[in-house]
Amino acid sequence: MTPSEPTSVLLLRLSAPLQAWGDRSTFNRRETRPEPTKSGVVGLLAAAAGRSRHAALDDLAGLALGIRIDQPGSILRDYHTVGDYRGQPLLSAAVTAKGVQKPTSPAKRTHITHRFYLQDAIFLAAVEGPHELITTLEHAVRHPAFPLALGRRSCAPTQPLTLGQRNGTLLEALRSEPWQATPAVRARWGRKNGHAAHIDLPATLDDPTGDDVRDDVPLSFAPTTRTFTTRRTRHTYLQAPTGLTPDPAQPPTTGGHDPFALLGW
Amino acid sequence: MTRRLYIDVHVVQTVPPANLNRDDQGNPKEAIYGGVRRSRASSQAWKRATRQHFDAQAPQPDRSTRTKRITQELTNRITRNTSLDREGADRIATQLLAQLGFSQGKKAGDTAYLLFYGNAQLDAVAALVTDHAGDLAALDDKALTEAVNELPVAKHFETGHPMGVALFGRMVADIPKLNVDAAVQVAHALSTHETQLEFDYFTAVDDQNEKDETGAGMIGTIGFNSATLYRYATVGFAQLTDNLGGDTDAALDALDRFVDSFTLSAPTGYQNSFAHRTRPSLVAVVVRTDQPVNLVSAFEEPVTAEAGIQAHSARRLAEEHITATRVWGDEPLCVAASHTFTAGEPRTKDTVDSLTQAFGESLTFADLRSTLRARITTALEGTQ
Repeated sequence: MTPSEPTSVLLLRLSAPLQAWGDRSTFNRRETRPEPTKSGVVGLLAAAAGRSRHAALDDLAGLALGIRIDQPGSILRDYHTVGDYRGQPLLSAAVTAKGVQKPTSPAKRTHITHRFYLQDAIFLAAVEGPHELITTLEHAVRHPAFPLALGRRSCAPTQPLTLGQRNGTLLEALRSEPWQATPAVRARWGRKNGHAAHIDLPATLDDPTGDDVRDDVPLSFAPTTRTFTTRRTRHTYLQAPTGLTPDPAQPPTTGGHDPFALLGW
Repeated sequence: MTRRLYIDVHVVQTVPPANLNRDDQGNPKEAIYGGVRRSRASSQAWKRATRQHFDAQAPQPDRSTRTKRITQELTNRITRNTSLDREGADRIATQLLAQLGFSQGKKAGDTAYLLFYGNAQLDAVAALVTDHAGDLAALDDKALTEAVNELPVAKHFETGHPMGVALFGRMVADIPKLNVDAAVQVAHALSTHETQLEFDYFTAVDDQNEKDETGAGMIGTIGFNSATLYRYATVGFAQLTDNLGGDTDAALDALDRFVDSFTLSAPTGYQNSFAHRTRPSLVAVVVRTDQPVNLVSAFEEPVTAEAGIQAHSARRLAEEHITATRVWGDEPLCVAASHTFTAGEPRTKDTVDSLTQAFGESLTFADLRSTLRARITTALEGTQ
């Protein structure tokens, strides 16, 4: 993207009972990261825009991404078995010299995998890029070519998926957008924190000088040549509006990063 | 390209104490949603039940099989279509399939691996030679190979997938070009309310016990819970049509049968212990031209037990649909619902009112299916 080109930010609210954002799961243990991956978000945008698995992704992978954790959720382990419902034995991972899968020996009929999900989580994803592309993508997310999913096909998103476009930078958009946690969570937090007007929320931002490296930038989603590269990110806390009215009788707190809170001190 | 249509299917279904889909401890699967524990049946478990129901209902040409004996199957079709003897038909069938380059199996005429194909696909390949089968059989081997090589055999295996494959997708690890992306998306079924895992402690007595032997022959526990589930699936009609080679009628058939199978199927885990098979109390279909809309957020705040869970869940769903339509301004193309609630009863009157406002008067399930088909047909004609 050229520096002079006007940019926009597309805000996505990633919320569903279950989400799954894997970045290294190829075998029987399908893990999830605690927050959305770039490949997951790019994949969602590509599916919305109707791109095939073989289509180029440079423009989408080149968008800057910021993720704000509005409701962290928790990890769910799903025990999953696979079997041929006609009762035939499964094929093994080993192949013959001809590249054909060998049958399992002794015959194995049930294959076990573990799938991890994030349950009850809500994220705010901000995608920054050229104005024209962002406008196209916003329309695509509202009129997707394929059903969209939050990281895994069975994780259908709840509405609204997109909160629309914002001018200004990615950071500004993530700072000014109200807290997206569910009403019950916001009310409970408000009672504990004097209904403070702001809350500190953890966020991960694309940053060329960042101190963390993630291997989740997709180069290709083609089934035979799925490849990823790395990006640098920065982890931080952002102050976001809660939409609550502060209680004058109680000193407001931001409910920010307080590791001792876990111990009840 | 076919007009972009999504068909959302929303189901509210109550199951009595049951263990539909269990984890490695043998207990029903669960998930936290809205901060509370819910009963869960995985999308995979329910898809399998749907698929089995679907396969059992589908007429023969729409079914699929997995076999090594594809040559024999093709030979049977050619002999049935023409006056050729078995030997002649077998020569033609062998040559037709030879151009695909399947590795040979141990027994003559078998392929090395099980091939998953639709009966309709094989019918189409057999039809390629019906008109001039006699001429082909008269040729010598070399001429036959040449004559047959020009026929588009591979094309018929790459398109015109059986409905089951078009709906649910297919993965062939060693031949990626035969992969098909699924046209349906099924969410995990979640209870609309908080559930607690319960245990049934059981003892079984040995019938042949001697009089002075006391105690049980066996003891154990089965985990179970009872839930009103919200189930959601969406069908991408454009992709379904593409998967079926652009055949709109076949896509309408596949959609219709999917709605039927998704609504009426259920996982059979512990069926003999709990006899949990129920019918839904509400099925609502929403046809949209913009995007699929999952209404699970209606139950983010759990329904409480005092409310009359089943009726209250249906009402919440209807209200969520109305709110979502009003707030986002995305009017669906059409809606229809079948439900079991009656307006005559004071307890469910509000539920019926909300459901009627959201999805119209309740139809019988058969009418719901025919209405759905008619509306989509009209919508597709309108754009052509």
